[in-house]
Formats: sequence, structure tokens, C-alpha cells
Amino acid sequence: MLRLAPWISVLGIALAWEVFARSGAVTPFMLPRLSVVLARIWTDAAAGDLWHHLGLTLYRSLTGFAVAALAGIALGFAVAYNRAARWLLDPLISVGFPMPKIAFLPIITLWLGFHDLSKISMVVFDAIFPVLTATIAATLAVERELLWSARNLGASERELLHEVVFPAALPQIMTGLQVSLPIALIVCIVAEMKLGGVGLGGAMITASRFADSPGVFAGIVEIAVAGYVLVRLMALARARLLAWHPETAAPASV
Amino acid sequence: MVESKETPVKRQILIEGVSHTYRPARGREVRALEDVSLEIEAREFIALLGPSGCGKSTLLYLIGGFLPVEQGAIRIEGAPVAGPGPDRGIVFQHFALFPWKSVRANVRYGLEKLGLAREEQERRAQAYIELVGLKGFEESYPSQLSGGMKQRAALARTLAVDPKMLLMDEPFGALDAQTRSLMQAELSAIWQRRPTTVLFVTHDVQEAVRLAQRVVVMSARPGRVKAIVEVDLDRADPHIYRSSAFAEKVDEIWNLVRDEAIKAQ
Amino acid sequence: MRYLPLLLLAAAWEAIVQLGLVSHDLLPSLSEVLKAGWTLLREGDLWANGAASLYRTGLGLLLAIVVGAALGILMAWWRAVDAFLGPLVEALYPMPKSALIPVTVLWLGFGDGSKILLIFLGCMLPVTLGAYNGARSCEQALVWSARSLGASRLGVLWDVVLPSALPELANGVRTALALAFVLLVSSELIVARAGLGYLIGFLGEGGIYDAMFAVVLVVAFLGFFADRLYLLLVKRAFAWRE
Repeated sequence: MLRLAPWISVLGIALAWEVFARSGAVTPFMLPRLSVVLARIWTDAAAGDLWHHLGLTLYRSLTGFAVAALAGIALGFAVAYNRAARWLLDPLISVGFPMPKIAFLPIITLWLGFHDLSKISMVVFDAIFPVLTATIAATLAVERELLWSARNLGASERELLHEVVFPAALPQIMTGLQVSLPIALIVCIVAEMKLGGVGLGGAMITASRFADSPGVFAGIVEIAVAGYVLVRLMALARARLLAWHPETAAPASV
Repeated sequence: MVESKETPVKRQILIEGVSHTYRPARGREVRALEDVSLEIEAREFIALLGPSGCGKSTLLYLIGGFLPVEQGAIRIEGAPVAGPGPDRGIVFQHFALFPWKSVRANVRYGLEKLGLAREEQERRAQAYIELVGLKGFEESYPSQLSGGMKQRAALARTLAVDPKMLLMDEPFGALDAQTRSLMQAELSAIWQRRPTTVLFVTHDVQEAVRLAQRVVVMSARPGRVKAIVEVDLDRADPHIYRSSAFAEKVDEIWNLVRDEAIKAQ
Repeated sequence: MRYLPLLLLAAAWEAIVQLGLVSHDLLPSLSEVLKAGWTLLREGDLWANGAASLYRTGLGLLLAIVVGAALGILMAWWRAVDAFLGPLVEALYPMPKSALIPVTVLWLGFGDGSKILLIFLGCMLPVTLGAYNGARSCEQALVWSARSLGASRLGVLWDVVLPSALPELANGVRTALALAFVLLVSSELIVARAGLGYLIGFLGEGGIYDAMFAVVLVVAFLGFFADRLYLLLVKRAFAWRE
């Protein structure tokens, strides 16, 4: 019964939306009916537009996420193991973290143009931070006793990294990835809104320019659903990869 | 039977046939108390003694008005308990001081609620802070105090509103043995200077005999009153705690408690 | 000093442009950027737009904190409120707030209103969550002590629950602060006629890259310093913690 609870709340909101929109308290422009918005999504899907936009957004954000993940983990290990790297990068990371990195979009656009590359790069720039900090923290925290036992049993430095440090650090790294994925999605969408063109963000901003209210709300619903699906997939991946971890029963929520 | 209002505050607390069941949101119900009846006179020092889980704290919370009395009745000077109030001061094991307030601000809290004039608040607060031996620490925050000092501050805060009775829930349980011993002596001294009704919950037999005039021994869960033992020791005598009379009393009570303690395991 | 690598980075930046390793059209040198920034400051553009941005962020955040904190504490304290609003909060949590940019523009246009609304809606969530968790962690013994000292049922919320919730609430506000800057910049880059984000876009389109870089740095460091300042204030306010 508890598993149904989130669905009940979504249903409740959907109902409230429809009722409120029909009530006449607000104009259809300000809040189109949910039924109208859903119908719009349907037509967009049938016409193929939805898949076109969604596909591009997913391609850009997931590519950016993948690069951020790999680079973040690799860099994170490097920083954790190398004093010099840590000294060099630590201030950059701690200063960069609270910065609104989206402000750098115009610079990235200047360097890399208006197409996919700049959007993906923006995603990487923003999404790498949570992965980096999580990896560094996790690696540094791997218990000494674990390492000593492994060394004692004859593991080499390389084996140590693969077989002990990485699995031990994995839960926290996964959390970093789980934080990073929604960031990748939204940064991509904001970049698309700025740069226009095709993609969920571009479509939404075009809709708002044409005062196409159902189009704008359709975009919100599509993004919300896409975000939700990605977060769920991540949670599933986490459960699979960390099946051995006691915490799998109650995974870290994002 | 007509309850005569002239019956003096002798029977200050009247507990009749009280039972209590905990019904948590998840898990099974727990019957904490079973048909407990007790009469307590004004200015008596009573110990509620028993093994873990015997419901002694529950009884305290019911008297304090923090839990509703569902079965039976509890009357304070004839009137049924209707919720917490400054007439029944409470002291907890983990001090429950407001960590964001200084010692002085903590002690003044109840006085503010009473609506006293500002100078009166300050005067009373200072008096009680000095009574418990915390002079000089008025502006300290709880995180800066030791366990014993925190408990003194908590005591000052409770005494400042001049309650009719003190409900003490294993107040020295979180202190180390030496501090505990000192605090027991201090509490005894304070009580002898200004006698007030005290209900003192503990699982420590020695502590109960040392402090109380009557020891109520409770059974293992569900808690019932197993026995009430009078402790008639001359507390003015500083050597009384090493006397054979003391040791015998402790033995007597421990024998009553032992079986219950084993049952509670 | 801990931040020495940043100075090295700055020096490297200046060096590679001066040495011609990178075209100065793509990357103005640090000295050029600083000069352009100074000009902007003197001519008032930075102040005017900065004021607009800070006004929007400040008001939006203030509303988010007041409403969010009240909501979080009420939800933690009264089951009924929690049952009613809890699912709403949970459902809105994974929604990326920047997706609301086009909607706020639809409703309130290109001015201050849409930005303030966006920041208010977006930042309310972390504040509510922080207040909620903080209030739930309030110790029963503290509440009972207050009640036995004469506090009323409502008085306990203000005297005990709110102060108990403050540390976690403060954490939520820190998250909200960073989020506020992101939402501000995002919306100003896309749909504005004033503000620092707008200024960046304007300068970029006009090809005045050294000034553009300057404003980007201003915005980026604004976010950084706001966070640091906040941490400092919080540390002082919570001096009573162990």
C-alpha cells in the first residue's frame, strides 16, 4: 500500500490541476486544463515532434553526464591519491562549487559555437562537480583497515585500487552520480532555452514566445516525467550495483 | 464518599487504579502499567524503583500530564490532572536544557511564562543559580558545561517556578559515579532546606535508599506496585550511609527488586 | 595559502594570452577583463544591473525562507498538514525548477516579477525540507520541559521547535542560496531586459567580450562570496552548538 502512495499524490495533483483549471478562477492562458495539455503531448508524440526534441535533449544531457561521470571519477581518484593534484584542484573545486556555473554559458558559446558541442560542454562543466567531490571524499574515506588487510593478503597497488578502493568508495560515488544526473538534464535544458533550436528547452522557449500556453505546460510535464524516469533508472542501477551494501534496502534519495 | 476539601494537602497526589498502554504507530502495543494505586503526602520524598521497562517513568509522565490518563485516575490536591503545568516540575535524565539559551536564559524561561516583572525574573533566576552552585556560569551555554553542571542548571530552572512537586526521571543516570554521588548529597541538602514533594525515578537501590523516605518497588512489565518500604534513617547524621542500618535497608529492598530485575532481562 | 593555485591560474591566464598562445578575440587577457570591468563599474552599468539582480534574488529568497520554513515546521508538527501537503512536496521535488522559466515569463513577462516568482518557487523546496527535518528532530524532553514550565501548545512551536529546527533549516537555506543564483542567472540569460545575466548576453551579442568576461566573473564570484558570507553568519549564530 505504501508503494502506491507517490502515485496517489501524483493523481491528487492531477485532479486538483484539472479541477482548478476548470473552475474559472484563472484564465486558460494562465493555466490550461491538464486534459488540454495531455492532448497536446499526445499530438506532439504522434507527429514525432516530441521524440525529436526529447531525443536530442537526452542525447546531449546523457553524453555530457557520461563524460562528467568518467572524468569526475578519474580526476577524483587522481586528486585523492596525489598530494600535488589535491593542492592544485582543491581551491578550484571549493570555489567552483557554489558558483552559478551557468553564467559561463556565453563564454562556452563563444568558444564552441551554438550547436551540440557547447551544450554538452556546459553540461559537463556543471555535472562534474558533484561526481568529483563525492569521489574524492569517498576515496579518502576508505577505511585504512580495509587497505591494510588487502595489502597484507598480497594485493598490489593497482589491484588495491580496483578491488578494494573502488568498491568501498562506490556507494558514495553513486550518490554523487545520482545528484549529478538531474543537474545534467536541467543544465542541458537551460542551455537549449538560451541557444534555441531543437530540444525540449528550445521548444519550450519557442512556445512561450508564441504565447503558446499549452505548449509551455506540455514541456513542463515532459521534463518532469523525463527527470523522474532518469532518477528511477539511476536508483535501480544503484540497487543492482550495490546489492551487497546494507544500505540498499533504503537507498540515498536525491 | 464525599471528598472533604478540609482534608489537608496531606494526600497531595492520589493515584487510583492507573493502567497505561503504549500504542505506537508501528509495532505491537505495550502494557506499561497495570492497576497502580498510590497515595503521596505533601513534602514527601518518594522513590519509584524498579527494573528497566517497569513503567516507572510512564507513571511520572502521567502525573506530569504529558501522557493522558486513560484508565484510572490521578488527582493532584483533589483535582484531576489536565496537562503539564508549572505546579509539577520535571527534571529529565538528559537535562533537556535549551541548547540555544544560556544558563540564565534557561532558568528565566519559566519565570517569563509566569509573567513576572523583569527585575523579579532576574532576581529569582540569580537566586536559584546560586542555590545550585552555578554562580559565575550564568552566561555559559549548555554545550560548555559538564554533565553535573547541566543537571544543576536543569534543577535551578525547575525550582525557579516554585513547583508544588518535583518529578525527577533518573536525573543522575547520565552522570559518572563520582558526580552522581555529589549530586545526590546536594539534592538531599536542598530538599532538607526547602522540603517539597519529590517523585524520584531510579533503578539504583542505593540511590533510592539514600534519598527517599519511602521506596515504591515496582514489578517488571507490566508495572505494578510490588511493595512500599519505609526508609527511616537519620539523614542529618553524616555517617548514616556507612551504617549497618543503611546496608540492611538496601539489602531488604534489593531482595524485593532482584526477582523483578531477572524477569525484565 | 590555500587559494594560491587560483592566483597561479590567474597568472597562467594572463601569460597564455600575452604570449599569443590563444587568440585574444577568444580569450581576452585577465588585465583587459579587469580593465573592462572597472569601466563598467565606473559607468554605472554594473551597479544598475547588479542592483536589479540582487533585488530579485533577495526578495525571492526571503519569501522562500519565510513561507518554506513555516510550511516545513507546520508539516512536521501537525500530521494533518503533513498528510495533505507532504505528497505535493514529494511530487514537486524531482521537478527541475529551471523548467519553470518559460511559465513564469508567460505569467509575468520579462521583468522582476517572473524572476522573483521563479526563485520563490524553486527555493522554497530545500527550505521546507530543511525546516521539516529539523523540526522532526526536536527532542520530546525539550517540548515537555517547556510545557511543564508553562508554555502553551502553540508557544512551544515558537519557543522550542523553531530553534531546534534552525541548524537543519540553515542548511536548507544554504542550498536555496546557491539555487537562487542559478535560477537568477538562468532566467536573466534567457528572458530579461535588465540584470547581470541580461548584461552578459547583451555584451556578448555586441561583441564586447572583455566586458562580458568581466561580468561573468562578477556573477560567478558573487555566488561564491554569498555562500562564504552565509557560512560565516551561520557559524556565529550557532556558536552555542558543541
